[in-house]
Amino acid sequence: MGTLPAGTERPGRASATMPLALTGPAPQAGLDLLRIVRINEEIKSVVGVAFRINIMALNAIFLAKRAGTAARGFGVLSNELRTFSQNLRDCMGELSGLVDACVGEVSVVLRDIRHTRLLRQAVAASSWAGGAAVLAARQAESERHLQRLTARRKALRRALDDAFRMVELGGVLAKSAKIEAAYGQSFAASLAQVSGEFDGVVEEIRKSLEALRRSDFFGRH
Amino acid sequence: MKTTRTIFQDGDHKWVAIVRDPERKGHLIDTNEYLVTHGGQGLLLDPGGAEIFPAVFSALSAEFDPSALAGIFASHQDPDICSSLALWLEFNPQMHCYVSWLWRSFIPHFGGSADTFVAMPDAGMTIALGGLSLTAVPAHYLHSSGNLHLYDAQARMFFSGDVGAALLPPGEDGLFVEDFDAHIRHAEAFHRRWMGSNEAKRSWCERVAKMDIDMLCPQHGAVYQGADVERFINWFDALPVGVVGS
Repeated sequence: MGTLPAGTERPGRASATMPLALTGPAPQAGLDLLRIVRINEEIKSVVGVAFRINIMALNAIFLAKRAGTAARGFGVLSNELRTFSQNLRDCMGELSGLVDACVGEVSVVLRDIRHTRLLRQAVAASSWAGGAAVLAARQAESERHLQRLTARRKALRRALDDAFRMVELGGVLAKSAKIEAAYGQSFAASLAQVSGEFDGVVEEIRKSLEALRRSDFFGRH
Repeated sequence: MKTTRTIFQDGDHKWVAIVRDPERKGHLIDTNEYLVTHGGQGLLLDPGGAEIFPAVFSALSAEFDPSALAGIFASHQDPDICSSLALWLEFNPQMHCYVSWLWRSFIPHFGGSADTFVAMPDAGMTIALGGLSLTAVPAHYLHSSGNLHLYDAQARMFFSGDVGAALLPPGEDGLFVEDFDAHIRHAEAFHRRWMGSNEAKRSWCERVAKMDIDMLCPQHGAVYQGADVERFINWFDALPVGVVGS
């Protein structure tokens, strides 16, 4: 049995600098995370507006009932607006779920990038023969995660397009309601106010969704 | 990259210290990792943080097949102890991580599956390594509330985690303590602040003083050997701990 206080010195291999993806996927994934977080914030505000629409649609129905036959056309449209607001709420719920999933996937990709960077550095600096296989397995796993993110990204884009089309229809309904309000006789001013507010809110949502569809999160992928 | 130093050897029974990376980024605390090998198997003690994994891995793999690592011993839960866990598991997903039961569900945040972890009881336990019996020794509250050290009775080597640690200035960072009085100045403030319980410290000193130890190997700083081991235990026993400031 021997103790070797002086030790046998064996330095590890000098750090072989290999091209690390420091300017590639990591900043891109970091930007993606920022973008999807911004999308998430925007959708949260749209969900809040959608909730307001639901209340406004109910008010429109009550107002149409009070106006009676003078606002029959407006009454039909207010029921359609109520259905629209419920569909919008469901649609926003789906969008929120998809955004959550995207945030999760981008986070996984970010973790993979750091993990792979450290493994790559370790394998490059080591003479151990098994390193390449471990690195290849890690890269295959990272690739699977990237593909999953791509699929989620496409699903979110599709859902945003669907929501946008639905909101455009809501805008048509709101504008029709504004026209019908003119026939509301003594209720015309109140009906015009309600339908005007509705139109304004739908337009607000439409602009938000339009901006979201143009997000760089969906570009170059 | 880090350097490996074989500090004990008897056939294939080895203690290898993985130390001192000149390329280490200054904002990362320097750490010592230790590899114990016996019967073709290896146990890595406090493998270090994720950011120093490349340096530790490359040094270790120059000495030992990393896929033959049977386990990781984590003295406690800190990130500089074992935040590299997920990276080591890439090389052997069946590897076990020995950790205090207290941190059994915390350390998995660094990686691993339910099968990875072996929860060590407060009283410690025996860890088998290729026919060698190692002993996990209680060191709770020194500094972590769930803290264990590792004793190799056959080699008379003791891994002491943060106990014995010293924050050494450049130029005074040799692997072994050469001048105890000069060295211990760099350990004093660390022990006063990081070690939280005088009672726990007393209990540890009594326990460890009874062991035959040739080298006391901390996770930071220099290794105590020979008479400096007892000198350190006596110094630590007399030091008031759990103190903020000097």
